[in-house]
Amino acid sequence: MSRVIDVPEVLDHRGFEQLVRYLPAAEDAAGARILFNAKHVRWVSPYGLIGLLAVGQVARERTGLSPRIEAPETREVRTYLDRMDFWQSAHEVFDLEPGATRSHGASDALLEITPIRSHHDVHAVVERVRERSAAILENHLHYPKPSVIQFSVMLSEVCQNIIEHAETVGWVCAQTYNYRERLGREVLMLAVMDVGVGFEGSLASEHARRFGESWSAATALEAALLFGESRFRDPGRGQGLQAIRKQVEKWDGMLAIRSGDAQIALVPDWDDYPPMQRSLPAFPGAQILIVMPARTVKAR
Amino acid sequence: MSGPGDASAGRAAVPAIAVASLYQEYLVTRQTGRAVRDGIERLFADRCGESLAVIDFRDVVVIDFSCADEVVAKLVMGFGEDQDASGNLFILVRGVRDDHMDPVEGALRRRGLAVAAERTSGEPVLLGDVDPDSGEAWRMLCACGRIRSHELAQKLGLEPGSCDRLLADLYRRRLVRRCGDAFESLSFAASAADDRSPPQELQRDDGPAPNDG
Repeated sequence: MSRVIDVPEVLDHRGFEQLVRYLPAAEDAAGARILFNAKHVRWVSPYGLIGLLAVGQVARERTGLSPRIEAPETREVRTYLDRMDFWQSAHEVFDLEPGATRSHGASDALLEITPIRSHHDVHAVVERVRERSAAILENHLHYPKPSVIQFSVMLSEVCQNIIEHAETVGWVCAQTYNYRERLGREVLMLAVMDVGVGFEGSLASEHARRFGESWSAATALEAALLFGESRFRDPGRGQGLQAIRKQVEKWDGMLAIRSGDAQIALVPDWDDYPPMQRSLPAFPGAQILIVMPARTVKAR
Repeated sequence: MSGPGDASAGRAAVPAIAVASLYQEYLVTRQTGRAVRDGIERLFADRCGESLAVIDFRDVVVIDFSCADEVVAKLVMGFGEDQDASGNLFILVRGVRDDHMDPVEGALRRRGLAVAAERTSGEPVLLGDVDPDSGEAWRMLCACGRIRSHELAQKLGLEPGSCDRLLADLYRRRLVRRCGDAFESLSFAASAADDRSPPQELQRDDGPAPNDG
């Protein structure tokens, strides 16, 4: 017997929230394997893509059964999933048909879905994106030359967040696309997710007592992103997120971090994301979204 | 005034110098930083007397904040500031580029530390948490190479007592070297030591592999 979760047609950050909302009901059927029906998916963002892996992983952990997935019918979406190496990572999460793990050949993505398990993976990711990011940041998004190194530093810090705090596997991917809906220009979207202990759990031992009853996922996110707090007493810790925040602000980008039942965001003028959301459906780990817009002629 | 190589300024033994060339393009992650720091610390484990660690950043393409904290800030914390008399180890970072500045400065400032550095052009630059007066005194000292306190006070238009205090603080933080009755910049000390004997290098085998944890 299977319980079916319909994957939203548009699988972006909103689509991910829908999946998170559907999950508890599907888990309730004891002994039921969950089927993610992605047949009708028409569009996927990098955040939605690894979000599907994250929701699948949580379903697997909670039910003890590897969920199944019905591949999208749309050719463009199928090709995109192939190009982003979705099936390589999906293989470790979902119960896939033999032969479902396809190799994509050449990809135009900045960074295909890459699992992050250790600092070796962070090294590999930083080294892999250097050449590609130079071409994309300078030629497509018209960022100045130093931004290539600054992007590498940001990528390294955001991936290390998984190793330092999640205590489990996470995924990262990055892709440029035309963000017509909001900006009418190209953006680089970087998504990083894990389903580990999350900010509230990670920071609790050091900070929960100080906050008393107000301690929550939201206060943990504020402490980490706005005040540079970490789970260590060492003042040298916690600077990674601070550095990411400053860099994203400098690039007029958007940064959103979801953890537990809260999401905090640094919102530029061009977006209308809420700066803080509480009482979201609880989901483990941390889900980070960074959007860097192409520079306009005026900004260059 | 005592300029570079001026023998009339204070005399002191040239410090033992060891160059830690970081043969890595990617200094990212805390684990890598720890391994690099371990390699540098091993170089100085059995040394006594004054030593100067020259950390060469010329090969480094990317350094992130976490690695900068492990390699530079924690080295300065362990070896640099507020050492007792038996532990006279000075640190000079060479080959610093604009790309390195933010992570290294950020890591040092978080801990209220500073380190003497040189850009790839050789221009001296003080990285980290330093007040403006100390920074000005340090830059003037670098321009002179080696100088006595009252001479530096004249150049800066300071009361001798104020200059004494600034130099004492820079020395406490191991950002300058004491040399008899004078003070010298670490760049000057490194050049003087280079002239006398070839520095001991951190061997490639001593350093961590790129992904060494």
